[in-house]
Amino acid sequence: MRTMPNGSNRTARWVAPGRVRTRAAPLVLLVLATALTVGLAAAGCGGKPRAQAAKKFVIANGGSDTMVNLAQMWSEEYHKVNPNVSIEVAGGGSGVGIRDLIQGIVAIANCSRDMTEAEKAQARKNTGKDPVEWVVGYDGIAIYAHKDSPVEQLTIEELAGIYGEGGKIANWSQLGVNLKAADGSDKIVRVSRQNSSGTYAYFRENVLDKKDFKLGSKDMSGSKDVVELVSRTKCAIGYSGMGYATEGVKMIKLAAKNGDEGCVPSVENVAVGKYPLSRSLLLYTLGRPEGDVKAYLEWALSPAGQKIVKEAGYIPISAVPKNIEI
Amino acid sequence: MNDPVVPAPALSLFRATSFTRKKIRVQKAAGILFGAMACALLVPLLALVVYLVVNAWPALTWEFLTDVPQGGMRRGGIWPALIGTLYLVVFSRLFSTPVGVLAGVYLNEYAKDNWLTRVVNLAVVNLAGVPSIVHALFGVGAFVIFAGLGKSVLAASLTLAIMTLPVMIVATREALAAVPMAFRVACWNLGASRWQTIRTIVLPNSIGGILTGVILEVCRAAGETAPIMFTGAIFFKAVERWDFFPYSPREQCMALSYHLHAISTQVPGVPEPMLYATAVVLLGFVLAFNSLAIVVRFRMRQRKKW
Repeated sequence: MRTMPNGSNRTARWVAPGRVRTRAAPLVLLVLATALTVGLAAAGCGGKPRAQAAKKFVIANGGSDTMVNLAQMWSEEYHKVNPNVSIEVAGGGSGVGIRDLIQGIVAIANCSRDMTEAEKAQARKNTGKDPVEWVVGYDGIAIYAHKDSPVEQLTIEELAGIYGEGGKIANWSQLGVNLKAADGSDKIVRVSRQNSSGTYAYFRENVLDKKDFKLGSKDMSGSKDVVELVSRTKCAIGYSGMGYATEGVKMIKLAAKNGDEGCVPSVENVAVGKYPLSRSLLLYTLGRPEGDVKAYLEWALSPAGQKIVKEAGYIPISAVPKNIEI
Repeated sequence: MNDPVVPAPALSLFRATSFTRKKIRVQKAAGILFGAMACALLVPLLALVVYLVVNAWPALTWEFLTDVPQGGMRRGGIWPALIGTLYLVVFSRLFSTPVGVLAGVYLNEYAKDNWLTRVVNLAVVNLAGVPSIVHALFGVGAFVIFAGLGKSVLAASLTLAIMTLPVMIVATREALAAVPMAFRVACWNLGASRWQTIRTIVLPNSIGGILTGVILEVCRAAGETAPIMFTGAIFFKAVERWDFFPYSPREQCMALSYHLHAISTQVPGVPEPMLYATAVVLLGFVLAFNSLAIVVRFRMRQRKKW
């Protein structure tokens, strides 16, 4: 018993000199626990393949922004069918999906364009396996305009004139369309995509004949962004998947050649190949898939999976007669 | 005539001249102006919170927090994103707290003022100024590709850890510097070594400040989108409701901030209230942790003995 310096006679508890005040102990413990946890986490999952590290089988799936919502809906539904399989879905663009497939980051790449020969060669070189292509549905690339836009129909040639490098069409009046923005300008506001997008690549190949885009377009990083910007801009034109249509935009009829009758992308028009900008939605795997990945792909191609393709706004493979090449 | 001279009232002696009146007026005006500016600070925050909550109200339910996304992310809730954000926050804190605290202790308690210390300090300051998107690219190069972690919770957490490290170090250093030198000197004079002094005197007295730093950086880690976008955040993963461990550290995860980005730029037809509700949850997460920081600081200040 001893009197405290300030005069109070509160009992001071005597403690061993080595452990005078141990309020720092939690902190030291925290540091130690951290090191331990991190070490364990790294050791626990470092050596094993990622699928075995989790209690469930995980299929990584990534790529096309056009297909990201379809992939998401599949993942959601498949989880109900087979709760032991969990499917990760990532976006980024077809190019990103292919790159990740080649690097072994994803098991399935979603693509809204074909893999190029160079990419296939690299996949073979990196992994020793051939990429296998699976057509899971079809999509029409719709040309969108503001819902109040008077533009009705365009041809592929006119589109190339609007978007392509060296194209002469810069104003709506050149197309005989009376469309002016609030400031009186009738400049065509071109909405495009970032260059890792499969939609971008498809448009460049099929509309611009592999030539470059004219500079000065607004390049959006998502399919939905394109439609959103077009719905807010009176003088805009943009291209995006047909599944992204909203009330704020309308689809412009598209004709393959001058003088042809144009049409909008609908299930029928895409299915019979009448709409000029139609493409396949693809999944790529490395080699023939086995086990859970195979089961998942089979489910995606089954009526249950194809129903979701339709719900996502795309065209199921069954809608297209076998003799028509898209 | 022996009437006493009536002294002039004190007030009239110092009658305000027009000059002093003007000074008083200017002073008042300045007070009002500065006060208004201070209050104006509250306006954006209040407006933001009220705007978000009003728009989000129809979707803000318990179900929204605990349900998984459904109907192509147009219905259901945000459970996997919420858990993913917790994962990222916990892991990134595990990485950056020890490093930050130890570095802070070294810089404040051990380091001599030599070129090495100055270089380290300069590095800390510069690291703090690096934009988050640059951290993201660094994370891709260092953790995803070079360290071979792939896009994963680990890679994303490490990127967030690097991003939050400078503030951790500075917060620790400030907290340590606030402990009066006399405490250390007294302790040394009793024969304690430097480490004994730090362990028993300096750290216990500065733990409040350090914890505040940790908590504030939780907010930053939870809110940033760019660093995790390329290093470990995914669009969607099918998980079960109430599953607290849906991700392994080597897998990618969903996160609130990226989820908000995804559903507002990628998914057509998401109901507006859902977008706002996701934003409110993210904001709520951050505000809750900020309040926690205030409480911790308050409690620790009460325990202060100087």
